[in-house]
Amino acid sequence: MTSLLKVEGLHKHFPIRRGVLRRQVGEIRAVDGVDLELETGETLSLVGESGCGKSTTGRLLVRLLEPTAGKILFEGADLATLSQRELRAKRQAIQIMFQDPYASLSPRMTVQEIVAEPLRVQGRYADDGGADRVRELLELVGLRPEHSRRYAHEFSGGQRQRIGLARALALNPRLLVLDEPVSALDVSVQAQVINQLRGLQDRLGLAYVFISHNLSVVRHISHRVAVMYLGSIVEVGTRADIFTAPTHPYTQALLSAIPVPDPVGRAERDRITLAGDVPSPSNPPTGCRFRTRCWKAQDVCAQEAPPLIDRIGVGHPSACHFPEVPATVGGA
Amino acid sequence: MTESLLRIDGLGVDFHTDDGVVHAVTDVSLAVEAGEIVAIVGESGSGKTVTAMSVLRLLPKAAEVSADAIAFRGTDLRTLSGAELRKIRGGPVGMIFQDPMTALNPVMTIGAQVAEAVVLHQVRPDKKAAWQRAIELLRLVGVPDPGERVKQYPHEFSGGMRQRAMIAMAIANDPDLIIADEPTTALDVTIQAQVLALLKKAQAETGAATILITHDLGIVAELADRVVVMYAGRVVESAGVTELFATPRHPYTKGLLASLPRMDVDVDQLDPIPGNPPNMADPPAGCAFHPRCPLARDRCRTDRPPLLAIGAGRTSACHFNEELA
Repeated sequence: MTSLLKVEGLHKHFPIRRGVLRRQVGEIRAVDGVDLELETGETLSLVGESGCGKSTTGRLLVRLLEPTAGKILFEGADLATLSQRELRAKRQAIQIMFQDPYASLSPRMTVQEIVAEPLRVQGRYADDGGADRVRELLELVGLRPEHSRRYAHEFSGGQRQRIGLARALALNPRLLVLDEPVSALDVSVQAQVINQLRGLQDRLGLAYVFISHNLSVVRHISHRVAVMYLGSIVEVGTRADIFTAPTHPYTQALLSAIPVPDPVGRAERDRITLAGDVPSPSNPPTGCRFRTRCWKAQDVCAQEAPPLIDRIGVGHPSACHFPEVPATVGGA
Repeated sequence: MTESLLRIDGLGVDFHTDDGVVHAVTDVSLAVEAGEIVAIVGESGSGKTVTAMSVLRLLPKAAEVSADAIAFRGTDLRTLSGAELRKIRGGPVGMIFQDPMTALNPVMTIGAQVAEAVVLHQVRPDKKAAWQRAIELLRLVGVPDPGERVKQYPHEFSGGMRQRAMIAMAIANDPDLIIADEPTTALDVTIQAQVLALLKKAQAETGAATILITHDLGIVAELADRVVVMYAGRVVESAGVTELFATPRHPYTKGLLASLPRMDVDVDQLDPIPGNPPNMADPPAGCAFHPRCPLARDRCRTDRPPLLAIGAGRTSACHFNEELA
């Protein structure tokens, strides 16, 4: 059976240019060899810190960026080799929702125009029911259809994210890339949007690629999780694998760094505090990219990049020479 | 009774805008005792930052501040001249701002800025000694190779390192009070963990009381001794940190805790607070939380509940305090 989405050896390198002649003096390896697989109705989260390549990966999936190398197979067809016409058809099935509810909606368009735009671009507006379809979409995301004549600035952040969601759903996609969809929202509103996303997934059978740095939200919404560091996946597995039996030291440190909203026992909590910052993706460390901040690093880590494999038979792979299931992790 | 380190009484802050007067903060009273960490939590627009900024008169001119008292170590800060207030800022009261890129001067080296914080509070300025002290402070806050890094500019520092430099400036003159406004919001989690550990260490070493402004209940639970919850410009609940998380009393605090996805608890559905935070240009009448409150009755739409003591060291502003106990 073919997966809904299969990504193989995905790379995106941005050139660094200097001087009058804009000569290329180096490159930023934002995404450097990523493999992913996603089934219908499933949520796969990409997590990691700024600069790890998670958003770039998301943009590559919807071809907002052209990959430097690698394959993106959607329902078995390689998006990179499709003709313009075929790509256009496939694109309807893959949509994206952005992080910033202020920058991602045009201030000069009404809600009706914003939500109808994908339908018009694809020439489906009249066939799909026109204004009726827009009304239906607004209801689907929990907005009042009477508000369709208003402009985006008349709505709060949470409502704007719903408008962005209605737009992303207009073409009946099968895959939705959600790039930090709740990061800009207040906590009390975040939960509304998360519940909405889960409800829609159940009703419409959508698959999500959920990009986020917020691990509590990721734990709540995901079926599977891929942890990224400096352009590559360091560990991938089911939600339970990642949150209760993480074997990569970076995953362990990431989980342990999250402040727990419970003051009881805070003095006894064991924290892994990583030293230093994420190195520059224009000049990544040799061998394992995490070794400069890793407490387990040995000579071999500087020489050999560890492959993403299941070395110790825990049922999910991690890219570490010395993977280990910790005794206890975080609050899990 | 001894005087609190900082006491704010009946603080109100109004902003005059094109759309009319916005009451950003109304009737906020707050006391901070020596050595304690008080967290002010709330969502955007709740007035938490405005409250903290009013202490050192750091609000824009459009802000109209009124208060019965803003007393630091017994001195009413409202009566001080600009020059006297500058002795307090960065001296006995240190500030850490949210965005270290905009808070630092881009055309001055980190060292010059940290040294400036030192020199400004010296009776007899000694620039050489101040430079040495800057290096020592940067070492203290964990900037690697401080002897070299002092000569660098803010853009050569990462976000976490810039925030460390800010903390170095805040603790430069052995403060009694540190005001930290969302000190880790702009940082990644692993860097946030480093900075929080550093804040704890700085607090332990200087013994300074801290006002920690944040929207992140995780950080509150990690650091705070006492918590003040704000909604729509007012305090709605205050309590010791253990009590607040174990038995939140105000419906807003309860809702906030219930809406959090947790790392340690599995739930099928999150329990969000319905609706949206209020528009402060046109806040709801009565209790500002009533449009979103599961308990709201007629009374809540017209009468604003006063902030009342509901036990030792706890207050809550709800008409149904007793029923919620």
